[in-house]
Amino acid sequence: MSALPELDRYEEFVGALELIDDEDLRFEYIIDIGKKADAAGFDEAWKTDANLMHGCMSKVWIVDRVEDGRHYFQGFSDAIIVKGLVTMMVQSFSGLTGDELEVLNEGHVRKLNLGALTTQRQVGMMAMLEHMKKLGRKGGNVTAGAA
Amino acid sequence: MSKVTPIANAAAGDNSTAAFDIDKVRADFPILSREVYGKPLVYLDSGASAQKPRVVIDAVREAYESYYSNVHRGAHYLSQRSTDAYEEARSIIARFINAPSDKNVVFTSSVTEAINLVAASWGRKFLKAGDEIVVSEMEHHANIVPWYMLCEELGTKLRVVPITDAGEFRIEDFEAALGPATKLVAITQVSNVLGTRVPIKRVTEIAHARAIPVLVDGAQGIVHQPVDVQDLDCDFYGFTGHKLYGPSGIGVLYAKSEILESMPPYQGGGDMIERVSFDKITYAPPPERFEAGTPPIVQAIGLGAAVRYVEGLGMDDIHAHEQGLLAYAEQRLSAVEGFTCHGTAADKAAIISFTVDGLHPFDVAAILDRQGVAVRVGQHCAEPLMDRLGIEGTVRASFALYNNRDDVDALAAAIEKAKGMLG
Repeated sequence: MSALPELDRYEEFVGALELIDDEDLRFEYIIDIGKKADAAGFDEAWKTDANLMHGCMSKVWIVDRVEDGRHYFQGFSDAIIVKGLVTMMVQSFSGLTGDELEVLNEGHVRKLNLGALTTQRQVGMMAMLEHMKKLGRKGGNVTAGAA
Repeated sequence: MSKVTPIANAAAGDNSTAAFDIDKVRADFPILSREVYGKPLVYLDSGASAQKPRVVIDAVREAYESYYSNVHRGAHYLSQRSTDAYEEARSIIARFINAPSDKNVVFTSSVTEAINLVAASWGRKFLKAGDEIVVSEMEHHANIVPWYMLCEELGTKLRVVPITDAGEFRIEDFEAALGPATKLVAITQVSNVLGTRVPIKRVTEIAHARAIPVLVDGAQGIVHQPVDVQDLDCDFYGFTGHKLYGPSGIGVLYAKSEILESMPPYQGGGDMIERVSFDKITYAPPPERFEAGTPPIVQAIGLGAAVRYVEGLGMDDIHAHEQGLLAYAEQRLSAVEGFTCHGTAADKAAIISFTVDGLHPFDVAAILDRQGVAVRVGQHCAEPLMDRLGIEGTVRASFALYNNRDDVDALAAAIEKAKGMLG
């Protein structure tokens, strides 16, 4: 197993959430990420059944583009809150190699300290992480630069 | 789907009426005084599972604390006490649904098990390849999957009665679904998503004129209105305890005597036999024939207490209270911009499934939750109905005897809050 490099974006999320001590505001922070994710653009062509994560209560798509052995994820959901969560996950853990992805675990989700979220959603985030690791093992699901 | 029509007179359903003291009723439910996220709990998920009055909690505790033992087999005082209480619960339930005898009441773990019991026992014995089972488009999965499994096993077929865009069940559509091959009608009394009431008495009249037996899924029905199985003339009626203010893990299957007598056992084990040898086994008569093993003893006793509780309030008064609340909720929520109610049948129980324009139901439910408003979200175990309505899911507010106008107002305010946060 490889050691993890610095996860700058992830640490940014952890830091921001640590500073927010009101659970309602944490919720709004996630909603805000979800709303802004619209602007980031998730190609319509990626919203296929093949890219759909199964077992979620709302639709979640995750794509994995591999460049120089590193995985760059993008995610989308039809629900804003889930879109916020999946955006945090894909931004946090993009740029890692397949071996580095394998090091990620439940502790990384817990450290985000999303106390305002239900257990069900935290389980959902774990499922997102596992899905990203699975995509990593398969060597990605979109071609570099392609929609 | 059309928006709900405001109802001019929603005066009924006020927090209290002469017949129904809602404040006193609410005080019977300890959980209603708690807060969620620092806000008063507004429990609008009783269609999934209802909260329990103190008398049920006390009955369960008393059973475990003072007389618990196994039933039907002990030669000692506690066993006799437990058996008496368990069988008394059966009598209470038989009286509640006006079954001709206690013998018509089989305890199961849930309405799901009740339907599976009928499918596995009656279905396997009396159905064959080519026969048809008629269900409606708005069934809960519990009244679809057991029949689908039977169809896979026997080669029987499902026929589906369509509903209208407003979620209405039309008798002419029902009649059109019946044919020479129809051997069973399995239908809900009240849709768990739309609240639509099915005119069961009319359904049984039509089906029986063609010698077709009728199974009623009463999971939602029995909660919102008086049920008289002899008046309905249904052949099977199943319901679950936890939606009727009783414990989870207990359900009831009512069936007519001659039908129960004709059915082979569903599961084998202790308590359901008369004589056992390695060469020959004879089975106990109903209802014991269908209650293999140690039954959910305390759950049954708790359900008996719950039934006594609702009887004490009066099912007619509960019905009137809830219908008044539904009228108020329809009026109040229709004023919310972008609100759409799915299911606007003229005769419906106090269940409101809705969406808000431009917002995902999961997002709405999440914000409602943060406001202390508990609702259900998703497909409500009714995926075929969602396909029919062309939607992926709804938020469902289901009302119970303990809800009041304040709950409706809190729901409306929380929806407005969700619109503000998510829009």
